[in-house]
Amino acid sequence: MQQILFATLMILLTIISYFFMTKLYIRFNFSFLLPVLTSTILIIIILVAFQIPYERYMQGGQWINSLLGPAVVALAYPLYKQREFLRKHAVVILASVTFAGTVGMLSAALLAKVTSLGHSLSLSILPKSVTTPVAIAITDGIGGNASMAVVAVMIAGIFGSILAPILFKMAKVHSPVGRGIALGSASHALGTAKAAEYGELAFSMGSVSMSLNALLSSILAPLIVWILFN
Amino acid sequence: MKAIRICLQIGILFIFSYIGTFIQNLFHLIIPGSIIGLILLFICLTLKVIPVELIEDGAGFLLGILTLLFVPMTVGIMNYPSLLSWQGLLLFGIVVVSTAITIVISGIFSQHLEKRTEKKKEASECNKSCSQHS
Repeated sequence: MQQILFATLMILLTIISYFFMTKLYIRFNFSFLLPVLTSTILIIIILVAFQIPYERYMQGGQWINSLLGPAVVALAYPLYKQREFLRKHAVVILASVTFAGTVGMLSAALLAKVTSLGHSLSLSILPKSVTTPVAIAITDGIGGNASMAVVAVMIAGIFGSILAPILFKMAKVHSPVGRGIALGSASHALGTAKAAEYGELAFSMGSVSMSLNALLSSILAPLIVWILFN
Repeated sequence: MKAIRICLQIGILFIFSYIGTFIQNLFHLIIPGSIIGLILLFICLTLKVIPVELIEDGAGFLLGILTLLFVPMTVGIMNYPSLLSWQGLLLFGIVVVSTAITIVISGIFSQHLEKRTEKKKEASECNKSCSQHS
């Protein structure tokens, strides 16, 4: 009984922090106030203050986490609504995502080499632009550390979404297609959620890019490791 | 009434996710079950096996709170205080810089490609109509 109560409390803590932070984000319209980032910080502060370990928090958190599977499936819905557009632009999308996926992994690998980040850490950050479950599978496959991979994936998702508006302005990327593809293939589902702010076309481009990038990266990652880290 | 419909529709999405995971395990694929489920649902919608009304509200609801669903996982960063070190800082910097590079380059690339193919299409359509007139 007490356990159920505690789990419910943790779920409420997550939902309330998120909605409060979303209100703040909408009110001030400032990219660094991204709700995932701010509510994560708020929850960590509360957990540390009350000395609740992460494993206990997850007794409630896992219920929210379990909705991720159907949520990824739900991305088929915007794809379906944009199917005509997808069919017409299949070549552009395929070429762009292949290019983006390659740039994403190569740049991470080269930066890790230049700064001589450790071998295991370098392998763990390679799939940073891929949605979490795929990133874990890829990291396991190439011999990195799965939890570090999750951390890298979260950083890529959160900071990609935060920096995107400035980057798009600087690089003069105005088309919803360009923005959706860039966000989906650099910052996976979090980037796709951000792309929704640029309209439905950008949103569905984001989800297409995210799914395609997940497929492509699982082939590309072992190749890059073989070329650069052997 | 709408709440019940949303819950039932999320149930349908859950089923697709499970079928995807089942297929993944069956063939030992690296692609996760949820992505396989996404592809399956897309095929079912396109072939009208499943009418879009059957998932519309549930999908819309879940996608509306998509980033909330990531919060429990991101809170997991608290288990790695070692990230507050030089190596952690380096990892953070590399990931952010590489992500920014990817966004800029792929954004420019796809926007350019999109415009070029559109121009080509316009040109070929003009050719057709122009030749019809002559």
